[in-house]
Amino acid sequence: MVDLKKLRESTEKIINRDDVKYVIGWEKGTHGFQVTPLFITSSDDVERLIFNPLCVHNLTVFLMLQEKLPLRKGAEEDKRKVGVIVKGCDSRAIVQIIQEKGLNRDDVVIIGIPCTGVIDPKKINKKFPNQTKTVDIDEDANNFVIKIDGKTHKVPKEELLMDKCKQCQFPNPIIYDVLVGSEIKTTGKPNYKDVESFEKKSLKEKWEYWEKQFEKCIRCYACRNVCPMCYCKECMVDQLNPQWIRRSVNVSENTAWNIMRAFHLAGRCIDCGECERVCPAEIPLVKLNKKLEKEVLELFDYRAGLDVDVKPLLSMFKPDDPEEFIL
Amino acid sequence: MVSHFGFGECFFAISSAPTKKEYIEVSVMKLGKVTSALHECEIGDTLGVRGPYGNNFDVKGWEGKNLVFIGGGIGQAPLRSLINYVVDNRKNYGKIDVIYGARSTNDICFKPEFEELEKRKDVNVHLSIDKEEKGWKKFVGFVPDNLLKIKPSPKNTIAITCGPPIMIKFVIQNLLKIGFSEDQIFTTLEMRMKCGIGKCGRCNIGNLYVCKDGPVFSYDQLKNLKGEM
Amino acid sequence: METLTLEKNKLPQLIKKIQSRYTVLAPTKCDNITLFKPINDYKEINLDFLNSKVSPKSILFCQTETLFKFKQGISAEVKSVDFPNSKNVIFGIRPCDAKSFSIVDFVFKDDFVDPYYMNKRENTVLIGLSCIKPGVNCFCTSMNGGPAFAEDVDILLTDIGDKYYVEIKTSKGNEVVKTSKDLFSKASSSDKNKKQEISEKVEKAITRNMNTKGIVEKLDKIFEDPIWKNISLKCLGCGICTYQCPTCHCFDIQDETTLSDGARVRVWDTCMNPEYTVHASGHNPRPARMNRTRNRVYHKFNYYPKNYNIIACVGCGRCINDCPVNIDIIDIIDQAREVKA
Repeated sequence: MVDLKKLRESTEKIINRDDVKYVIGWEKGTHGFQVTPLFITSSDDVERLIFNPLCVHNLTVFLMLQEKLPLRKGAEEDKRKVGVIVKGCDSRAIVQIIQEKGLNRDDVVIIGIPCTGVIDPKKINKKFPNQTKTVDIDEDANNFVIKIDGKTHKVPKEELLMDKCKQCQFPNPIIYDVLVGSEIKTTGKPNYKDVESFEKKSLKEKWEYWEKQFEKCIRCYACRNVCPMCYCKECMVDQLNPQWIRRSVNVSENTAWNIMRAFHLAGRCIDCGECERVCPAEIPLVKLNKKLEKEVLELFDYRAGLDVDVKPLLSMFKPDDPEEFIL
Repeated sequence: MVSHFGFGECFFAISSAPTKKEYIEVSVMKLGKVTSALHECEIGDTLGVRGPYGNNFDVKGWEGKNLVFIGGGIGQAPLRSLINYVVDNRKNYGKIDVIYGARSTNDICFKPEFEELEKRKDVNVHLSIDKEEKGWKKFVGFVPDNLLKIKPSPKNTIAITCGPPIMIKFVIQNLLKIGFSEDQIFTTLEMRMKCGIGKCGRCNIGNLYVCKDGPVFSYDQLKNLKGEM
Repeated sequence: METLTLEKNKLPQLIKKIQSRYTVLAPTKCDNITLFKPINDYKEINLDFLNSKVSPKSILFCQTETLFKFKQGISAEVKSVDFPNSKNVIFGIRPCDAKSFSIVDFVFKDDFVDPYYMNKRENTVLIGLSCIKPGVNCFCTSMNGGPAFAEDVDILLTDIGDKYYVEIKTSKGNEVVKTSKDLFSKASSSDKNKKQEISEKVEKAITRNMNTKGIVEKLDKIFEDPIWKNISLKCLGCGICTYQCPTCHCFDIQDETTLSDGARVRVWDTCMNPEYTVHASGHNPRPARMNRTRNRVYHKFNYYPKNYNIIACVGCGRCINDCPVNIDIIDIIDQAREVKA
């Protein structure tokens, strides 16, 4: 658990700098277990900043969502830096985007938090339904400590953690300007058990499974908009001329969308799991991403977002790259 | 609304006057998917048409009044219909001024018609282009500035403007400066539209839909709307 | 019109009877979420649900609807689509969602009647099911509705223990059950009291509420206020809030073709999408997320009341439940009310 006082101090120092326009962190949400992104624009806002195991959001997406609107005559572009607070997995997004030259390292100030895992909102809402009042949450080594209406519940972490956190290998931010807290030792190894067991299914079974999933898709594109890696100026799904994917919502078009989304993340997905968290149709999108992550690792021994100096997978070529798939 | 099946449907103002009974004309600038396809059409191709939708200029109510038309770029298309109607019923109206500006001489819409119009003694035409060009002896600058220079008298006059949103904004400002009152200023607006009948939602300015409640609005109406243009 | 009761164990029989004359759509479990789907058998129905994940507006205002078909080319031809005219029953619709139809009707009936929506609307009977367990973000009681509100359905069923209290509100509703009247019993005054008790109890269990008093006038005064910018800072610009909203009715129209055939379809669209309003010239009247967020709120709480004299929100809470960044419409209205104008 991060020392909140230290986190606020570090944040205050950064927001008081002249060259920072805002720092993105988290604050208490409007109800129950909700936590929400907070844009800190002055030191007055710092007291609203929190960090606890409910802080699932990967805030790096907001770096890519900054709007560049036409300026009024005579107005100057605000070139100040943006501060962002990141967990281990979140930081990989920044690394990967810098690798892709989508972001300039000098334009961001990064506050890193070594993360001991966050809670899956779906799991906690199921365990404690009907929580309207906001809830205080804490943790010890093995449990989440949840205080509801004066009563304290100790829940083993294993029960509430996001699945991605259970096999996390990167709890420590890979890139940061300030690290709040001390680094966590990890023993995590890439784990693709779920992918492997799914791979064993027959083609028919796989198709039936995904057909059922994609049928539910309502094409709200929350998976795309929440993804820090989805920062194309114009998404292929929005293009009209040529139109790659029709606007009709049916299994065929939905499949095209979901598969293309996953492919565009091959060698780029940093496994923050945000797409799956936000999907209103509860489509297990991480399963798709993981499959591609596994392929990329096996074929090219590459993992996204680990080193700013490495070229992104799809823009490098090695003579010994496997090529069995090339006809 | 004009449909090119397989490409889609687009909204256009009818740019021919109701005095032309044999046909209607729409003016199409080649820009997007549908308009590009429309430009590829040949005589004999089948298109779909539905409409007309929305309201219209109050040509009957304006009889006996002076009219000032202020157009910019392709915003001239809906004004052309009105100007031609008024010219065809010339005796019913007072003094007529047509102020029109385009980016360059190449961008002037309906050039031959302006030339015809300029020959008439009972219509005053004031053309302008944004940037200086060789051989251009008329006004150089933006339409709102040309308007200030011409300074039409607001007395018993209706001003009708159409053009890019930013031009409309400054034209209205300048009309007010000259002394026009809010109910003397009319504009016909453009918005992205899909259904044309006030259902698909996208063309609202405040609570009014440009497709259904417009496209003709008086400034009196517009200034009270909470919405973006 | 008439109040009856129905023993719970007779519900399967009733559904079966209705199915002989109507297509029944009911809440079903689709993988891990509940959706309204046409059912073949009573067993497919899942009545242990809070509310469907996607609102049943998708039944009358389909996410994808073919407007007409055409042949492309020099001799293009247009062929209208047939309306199925099949009679539908939406069984188990919540009072809030039923209310959304009454609200959206204004748009689809206004000036030009929308035949695609209205045909389905007229051929659909709503058998509502009162809520007995409200969700965290339910606030229907703030929006002139309630967990057992019967005004927008044709028949309302309320679970009063071992049986349902059945209120038949319209002749359309009566038509559905007229062949199965033998399954019902007359409601006694104690049944009525029980319903009253339960509905009051559930109303009390609703903890969130929205104060909309004077909101239309207030919004008129704060269009330029910085709160819209602040609220939209964290907006991702996805379409969840609008697609999930039972009263959002905006759509896009597209031509979709194969080599020779084509169809003009309409699909849900969202005002959160920047492309929604962009002109062919590139000018966008709502260029920033601030404009779009504000438009969503104004459409529901200012424009709609001005046009139709009703707020376009039923308090179902879906936009709050599903927003990835906790943009909360109750919170927005609270903030708007607090702005000094």
